[in-house]
Amino acid sequence: MAVLNATNLHKFYQLGEFQIKALNGVDFEVEAGAFVAIMGPSGSGKSTLLHLLGGLDVATDGDVMLTGQAFSELPDHQMTLTRRRNIGFVFQFFNLLPTLTAEENIQLPILIDGGKPEVFQSRVDQLIDLVGLNDRRDHKPDQLSGGEQQRVAIARALVTQPAILLADEPTGNLDTKTGKVIMSLLRRSCDELGQTIIVVTHDPRAAAYADRVVFLRDGKEQETLKFKELKDLSERIRKIMGIMEKMEI
Amino acid sequence: MRLLIKLTLRSIQRHPARTILSMLGITIGVAGILALGITNQASMQSISALFEESSGKVDLMVTASSDNQPLSEGTIRVTENIAAVRVVLPIVKANTAFADQASGGGLELSFLGMDSGGFLLHGVNPVLEPLARDYKIVEGRFLEDPLEALEVVLVESYAQDEDIQVGDRVEVLTPNGVERLRVVGLIAREGPGQINNGAFGIVPLNTAQRMFNRLGEYDQLDLLLTESNSSQALEEVRLAIQRRLGEAVSVTYPAGQGQRMSQMLSNYQIGLNFLSGIALFVGAFLIYNAFAMTVVERTREFGMLRTIGMTRRQIILQVISEALVLGIFGSGLGVLMGILGARGLAGLVGSLLGTDLSADLVVPGGTLLLSLFVGIIVTIIGALMPSIQAGQVSPIAALRVRGRSQEGWITRSGWKFGIAGLLVSTAILLWNPFPYDPQFILGSLTVFLMFGGVTLMIPGTVSTWEKLSRPLMRLIFRNSGLIGSRNIGRSKVRTTLTIVALLIGVAMILVVRVMTASFSQDLVSWINAYIGGDIYIHSSVPLRADMANQVAGITGVGAATPIHYQNIEFMAPGGGLEPLTFMAVDPATYTRVTSFIFSDSNINAQAALAELNDGGALFISSVIAEKYNLGVGDRFWIRTNQGLQDFSIAAVVVDFFNQGLVVTGNRHDLRRFFRSNEISTILVKVDAGVPTADVIANIEQVYGKRYHLSLESNETIRGNISVLMDQAFSMFDVMAVLAVLISSLGIVNTLMMNIMERTQEIGMLRAIGMTRGQVIKMVLSEAGLMGVIGGLVGLVFGVLLAKIFLTGMTAMSGYRLDFIVPLGGVITSLVVALVISQLAAIQPARKASRTNILEAIHYE
Ligand SMILES: Nc1ncnc2c1ncn2[C@@H]1O[C@H](COP(=O)(O)OP(=O)(O)O)[C@@H](O)[C@H]1O
Ligand SMILES: [Mg+2]
Repeated sequence: MAVLNATNLHKFYQLGEFQIKALNGVDFEVEAGAFVAIMGPSGSGKSTLLHLLGGLDVATDGDVMLTGQAFSELPDHQMTLTRRRNIGFVFQFFNLLPTLTAEENIQLPILIDGGKPEVFQSRVDQLIDLVGLNDRRDHKPDQLSGGEQQRVAIARALVTQPAILLADEPTGNLDTKTGKVIMSLLRRSCDELGQTIIVVTHDPRAAAYADRVVFLRDGKEQETLKFKELKDLSERIRKIMGIMEKMEI
Repeated sequence: MRLLIKLTLRSIQRHPARTILSMLGITIGVAGILALGITNQASMQSISALFEESSGKVDLMVTASSDNQPLSEGTIRVTENIAAVRVVLPIVKANTAFADQASGGGLELSFLGMDSGGFLLHGVNPVLEPLARDYKIVEGRFLEDPLEALEVVLVESYAQDEDIQVGDRVEVLTPNGVERLRVVGLIAREGPGQINNGAFGIVPLNTAQRMFNRLGEYDQLDLLLTESNSSQALEEVRLAIQRRLGEAVSVTYPAGQGQRMSQMLSNYQIGLNFLSGIALFVGAFLIYNAFAMTVVERTREFGMLRTIGMTRRQIILQVISEALVLGIFGSGLGVLMGILGARGLAGLVGSLLGTDLSADLVVPGGTLLLSLFVGIIVTIIGALMPSIQAGQVSPIAALRVRGRSQEGWITRSGWKFGIAGLLVSTAILLWNPFPYDPQFILGSLTVFLMFGGVTLMIPGTVSTWEKLSRPLMRLIFRNSGLIGSRNIGRSKVRTTLTIVALLIGVAMILVVRVMTASFSQDLVSWINAYIGGDIYIHSSVPLRADMANQVAGITGVGAATPIHYQNIEFMAPGGGLEPLTFMAVDPATYTRVTSFIFSDSNINAQAALAELNDGGALFISSVIAEKYNLGVGDRFWIRTNQGLQDFSIAAVVVDFFNQGLVVTGNRHDLRRFFRSNEISTILVKVDAGVPTADVIANIEQVYGKRYHLSLESNETIRGNISVLMDQAFSMFDVMAVLAVLISSLGIVNTLMMNIMERTQEIGMLRAIGMTRGQVIKMVLSEAGLMGVIGGLVGLVFGVLLAKIFLTGMTAMSGYRLDFIVPLGGVITSLVVALVISQLAAIQPARKASRTNILEAIHYE
């Protein structure tokens, strides 16, 4: 069953006389529990697509359906509530509030939803365990490394058990080793919690953790790789690199 | 250098909104100083002009040292024979009223320099007068010879108000009844036409003397000298004349009168200067805000510039020159705004003085330059700390993602020193309030230390405040409040300065409230005793001595007592004669109508009254007692018609008549020592159960017309007094509110800066599901917490300041005031702090709620 369904997505930007077609007709479907990576050269529309899927921006044409709800029918306030409850976000930067501790940052979506963090304590504890930050829970973001900050961000994104987790270059600012930790963490969230995940990345080693890799070019889907049977990571990376070479990324 | 200018202009261009915001600070600061400067100057000028113009070309004036010894023909002759004197202009002055005016006179209340006025007549020599003053005749003619014509010249504006035309006859009240005078001319309300706010008229000298039984008597001699001498020569002439005429008269400069009046303004001036100080403070900190932010933001840029070889000094210079550009533009703009602002302020002060200041509004060059200079200097001072921080950026910082400002020593442990400073300075001020000049600077410095102490206290304690206020924030703003108020600990210096600005405003409100309450309490208890009678009878003409007995015979009157106020002089214990009011009472009837409030409640009132009744004894006011350290049993020297006479002090009473410069004696002594048997006032006690209004009607019916009585009930007078008091204090209220408003600009600016700084964070919060409404609450809660801290600390600070001011005032003036903290004032100041903080946060909050998510989280 498809959790997320995007049809005929277009996003145009008008810059003076020029029209930039950031997205030019993308159809996209994600089943529950899937882990999808989006790749493509810089400016191919990856972030634009992710923003539309996350309801952060409005499509010029086409629509997004999340768990049966069409975004085009949601007024701004309802869209905000949908983001709050049904979508988790992990960005490259600016994920955390510097005034809150790691644990409080993870509780942030509960706070925003008007809930009492105590009620959800067991879930928060479980997530802190999952991301391995038990001894760091009382640290403020500026006392955490970049990788640890991203781990907090992931736990934060998971705390509401969203229908979908969206991540834009979550490893973009990290070294290879830390990047691996983050990606395997996302992988585990998918496997152990059944979390549906979409990751935008330009790094084939990161994309290899996904079950499916979608390649964009000039705002259109160019190619898709499916790794259902292929378990070996380096084999996956080799295949992704092959396509990247073909696409001259 | 070229590079410097280029970089500077670039960075200003890059953040136009912030540039405008930070310029706003300097602009308001400069505008404040200039507007106050212009207004101060205009009001001073208007006051001295009033006295200078109304005294015209007069070089010196001779007046009697006290009421009871008017100037005589002899004085004129002696004066005329002095070589340096060219012309002597004798003047007789009389306070009166028109017969058809329902309420002539009334209680002569002078409270903080505001009085209720009356009509003033000058008897002048019609031939000589134009030599001294330019009367601008707008209709009819000036007075002519002969000296005894029954003619009067009025001020045009007054005549219009009273609907009097040239040719009309007006009826003037005199001790002998009504005198009819023909209006022969009107003068413009300028120059001498401004005397007594235009309620002024001139009549021929002899007419005035005859009408008011003053034959051979004069109140003032205006002197024109043979040549307009240098000020030094003039002073010699003045001293020479003073020596020739002796101690019974005083020879002064005409402008000297204006100085007395301008003292009254000095209270307001202190308040106004305080206000411009706050404006400057806020201005400096808005600049600080802007630059601290620029520097943090441009850490990488500075790091890069250092890497490619720019020295620390060059970096500091670059930031300072940016400040300089801002300072010049902002100050320039401030000058324009200040000139406009002066108009509004002049209206306010003008209404206080009862004159129109707008004509006097000239921009004094000195003040203009000063305000420009101060604006630029303050800008540079504000930018100094950030620029030094910029200079400290290491080349490696270019490689780091983002500069993080470190918590300095001050923010961490400054609060300990703050509390220490606060305690020490408060102790010093309470122990010795430094009332007099040489210590005044020291006193101001100590107050400044207090401010410093409070300022230092804040950064170290904000997180404690935040924790304490969590339940409140959750209650009002829900969870958004918890997230928002947490932000208070982030830009500590900025937050601290914002809170300090707010707390100064709150403290001002509280000081005004405490002073008002403390004053009112004493004043009210005095008023209750002073007008302990039910009806107060007054006339614009002197009353006959037996009037009180006659009034006592009227139906409904229980008792009536006569009172006379005689202006006299006494020998101050320090030496020198000083003016004083001698209140002559008839102790027997007085105590049947009202009572004295004795300072010492254990005094034997019976014995004291008996002593007063026996004569040669006085009750002195508590003000005099404290000022000269006098008490019961001490001697008190008064200058009487029989020379200096000593009285014994029988009691100390609370009495604020004539600002407390009053003694009470008995009427026999008035007759004996001052040869006067007059009555200024009759106090009446109404029989129990009889309505006051009925008794007033009875008295009016029997004597009202015949003696031109004006009767006022106790309630009316109390009402009038409280109106006067409110007027006097409302000006201070206005100033306090203005201070709070100025500080609210600080809140707006700080929140705007915070929001700009946290754009990405707000974008992230919106992305993960925070609604616009929650963003608004988040910002409001941060402001609310500033309001709570500013309000509470301001409250404590205000109470301390008020205590210090009261102690200082007691030491200076002898007013002994109970220290009262009114609950209303406490609540007002807290509510104002909270409401202002919320109002100031509305615009920033809305701006935050409109943060574009994609732009905020966009990075490259
Ligand atoms: N707000 C915008 N205004 C104009 N053009 C934009 C805007 N956002 C993105 N674009 C353009 O749309 C295209 C796709 O951008 P993006 O989705 O960010 O690419 P990617 O994330 O794949 O690098 C690019 O050409 C980019 O310049
Ligand atoms: Mg992108």
